Amino acid sequence: MAKRIINNVKLGLFVLAGLVFLVLLLYMIGKDQNLFGETYKLKARFNNIQGLVVGNNVRFAGIQAGTVKKISIINDTVIEVTMIIDTKMKNIIRKNAIASINTDGLVGNRVVNIVPAHNPGPFAEEGDILVSRKAVATDDMIETLSKTNIDVADIAADLKITVQRINSSTALWALLNDMSIPENLKVSVANIRSATLKAGTLADNLNTIVSDVQEGKGSLGAILTDTSLAKNLNEAVVKIKTVADKADELAVELNKMAADIRQDVNQGKGTVNALLKDSMIVIKLNTSLDNIQQGTEGFNQSMEALKHNFLLRGYFRKLEKKKQKMKPE
Amino acid sequence: MIQSPAIKIFLNEVGELSRFTGRFFNQCFKPRYEFKEFIRQCFVIGYRSLPLVALTAFILGLVLTMQLRPSMVDYGVESQIPVIVGIAIIREIGPVITALIFAGKIGSSIGAELGSMKVTEQIDAMEVSGTNPFKYLAVTRIIAATVMLPVLVILGNAISLYGSYLGVNMQSTTSFSLFWTQVFDSLSFSDVVPSFVKSFFFGFAVGIIGCYKGYNSNKGTEGVGHSANSAVVVSSVMIFIIDLLAVQVTQALGLN
Repeated sequence: MAKRIINNVKLGLFVLAGLVFLVLLLYMIGKDQNLFGETYKLKARFNNIQGLVVGNNVRFAGIQAGTVKKISIINDTVIEVTMIIDTKMKNIIRKNAIASINTDGLVGNRVVNIVPAHNPGPFAEEGDILVSRKAVATDDMIETLSKTNIDVADIAADLKITVQRINSSTALWALLNDMSIPENLKVSVANIRSATLKAGTLADNLNTIVSDVQEGKGSLGAILTDTSLAKNLNEAVVKIKTVADKADELAVELNKMAADIRQDVNQGKGTVNALLKDSMIVIKLNTSLDNIQQGTEGFNQSMEALKHNFLLRGYFRKLEKKKQKMKPE
Repeated sequence: MIQSPAIKIFLNEVGELSRFTGRFFNQCFKPRYEFKEFIRQCFVIGYRSLPLVALTAFILGLVLTMQLRPSMVDYGVESQIPVIVGIAIIREIGPVITALIFAGKIGSSIGAELGSMKVTEQIDAMEVSGTNPFKYLAVTRIIAATVMLPVLVILGNAISLYGSYLGVNMQSTTSFSLFWTQVFDSLSFSDVVPSFVKSFFFGFAVGIIGCYKGYNSNKGTEGVGHSANSAVVVSSVMIFIIDLLAVQVTQALGLN
């Protein structure tokens, strides 16, 4: 009887051990899927979920935060992923956090990664829809790679042609095979070295000059360093300025004078105006001119009369003869 | 109607087994339960099998890990050994190997025990004395086998995974907690539940075939050996057939 009880105890232990392991196993698995413990729901919308399935992990900044609970198609471009998130994350995940679908490792399961946005926002609550970001899909990567491959192939082809040209170029090979070039190069390098040395000396000299100038030696130094010269220059400038000011005044005066004259002319003051504006004077002038003309005609007649006067006839004849003498020549 | 004697024998056997199964279900729900005998059988079938199951499971986990290791290293996924071994053991190898060991130990012992009782006419004597021999001998053993195998499978899995942990640590280093985290992270209920349910069927198959073979043994002491042998063979084959069906069912239910 006692042995039977011992056996029963052993059996009980055996069965309990089995049950404990089973419960442990189920609990460990369930813990990842948040079956035990409080959770809340968050949503994110994607246009391609890239093979995400119910039960995949949700990570916040790399930390296990929950699992994918439901995937539903809203329309042909929008797929809504409902995630159950551990309540512990309630005071961590914010409304403006960004959800994206990535792969766990290189070939692992899909995971939803939630990353915080740069600027803080209010905490996410039950049923909030997070902003989603298109993750780098392997297909896209391969597509880009194939484009790059084509480019690389083109470049390789071009490169091949270039290399072939270089190979077939006799001039280049002659250049490369010419043993005198290194010698010349050596000489050139030596020349460059001596030139550099000279340049060094030149720089030294320049340096000395500059320091001399700074110390006030020589005429340039005097100009740059003599303070009395600066003072004189200053005075000169002041004087020039005064002269300029006076010239300004003069110009103003002149201006004024011109304006006065214009005004006088317009208002009928002075002789000029009288000349310009009085029409009577014009008539008088005309008459005077007529009189002068008549006077001149009278003078002409008098002169003719004088020619025919016996006293002066001899003189005019002489004049006539002189004229005729000049003509045949 | 059926010409070939082999097919005739086979079909006869299937029919007899079905009748026996029906008889079991008929008897097991009727009152006067042999509870004490059931506990005793659980002790014999379950507890006594633990050392054997533990040893084989431990070696299995260790060897599986060490055999997998070179290929995993080739692919550069050495770190995924716990994941693969975990899934392999929990989903398939643990239940099936444990069930086969169980069939070898328990199937043969039930077959031989009941066979010798049948041959020495103890079963008939029991019937005369007023005890229901089917209830007392067969039903208790079948239920005990059905209930005990899943417990053995769970314990075997745990020991197997521990063996695998040692196997990983033999050639590289991993921490105990990292190993278990990796194993449990990769598992889901769809891995554990079907394999757990499956092991009930394995246990039932081992129990019922052992009892059937023992109960129907004849031809003296030679028949005892024959019934023990065929109990092991048939139950082992049945385990694989159930395994095949189970994978189809889980696939159909979308649990994979």
